[in-house]
Amino acid sequence: MAAKRMANYVASGLLGLSAALAAANWYLKPERAAAWATALGLLACMTVAFLLVLRRSQDESDGRSSDDSVRSGVAWAGLILAVSLAGKLASTLGASYGADLQERVMMAILGACIVFTGNMIPKTLTRLPALEEDAARVQALRRFAGWTWVLTGLAFAISWLALPVELSERLSFVLLPGGMLIIAAQMIRMRRTRQRAT
Amino acid sequence: MFKALSDPTRRRVLQLLRQRPMSAGELAEHFPVSKPTMSAHFSVLAGAGLIEAEKTGRTITYRLKMSVLEDALLGFAHTLGWGKKAREGGGSAAGNSGQKLRTVKKEV
Repeated sequence: MAAKRMANYVASGLLGLSAALAAANWYLKPERAAAWATALGLLACMTVAFLLVLRRSQDESDGRSSDDSVRSGVAWAGLILAVSLAGKLASTLGASYGADLQERVMMAILGACIVFTGNMIPKTLTRLPALEEDAARVQALRRFAGWTWVLTGLAFAISWLALPVELSERLSFVLLPGGMLIIAAQMIRMRRTRQRAT
Repeated sequence: MFKALSDPTRRRVLQLLRQRPMSAGELAEHFPVSKPTMSAHFSVLAGAGLIEAEKTGRTITYRLKMSVLEDALLGFAHTLGWGKKAREGGGSAAGNSGQKLRTVKKEV
């Protein structure tokens, strides 16, 4: 319950911060009004989704996992938008930092988001009667997918923080599809083993 | 969560559940302890959000509900042998509660 309340505060704080940064950018660079209006429109949509989840969780004492997904999705999207808008604002105000620093930070956050998503995959449960005799296989696949996705995200984030940008870009094209392919291959292998068994 | 992982019996329960979801009876067969003690262990694990109980008819089936981080911590706890000293020195909290329950039953 305390963790959910904390997530609510973080998500609403990031939404508010992103809106303030978009407004400040609009004020300082009115010639790019379309871009700032798009960002504010996106933030409005996220705020509506977040408010709907908040309202539903107040009505129901038992929280749904889909609500948690919306909450964490809003928080991650808010963080990515806030970092991006803060970078734009800083460069408009004349702050000088390495050209690729913002790209590195954004990609590292994306890597952290992949780690977070992968970490929660094994916690997603389907009711046992719906799985019939496949419960053990489904559990094994979810654990495998979770671990693969977490390691992919870690490698992605570390490569963007530690390696030259050109190399990180190339590695990203290998890491993300590679992680997905490994999970898909394991899924196919498990399905074949099941068919052979029956 | 650390309290739940600190007991070797509870860690063994989690390792058994890694293979497949199991009923309370199936799990209890692997341990030389009473059912109330096992129930206490199950409730600690469920309270920490590491396992989930699902009732089908009269059977309660337990299954893993561990994130990757919790899974990794279980591996560390098992490798480092957390809580072994506490067990050697008089048993875990859940084990003690089970023993107390048995003593009360005998007295009754």
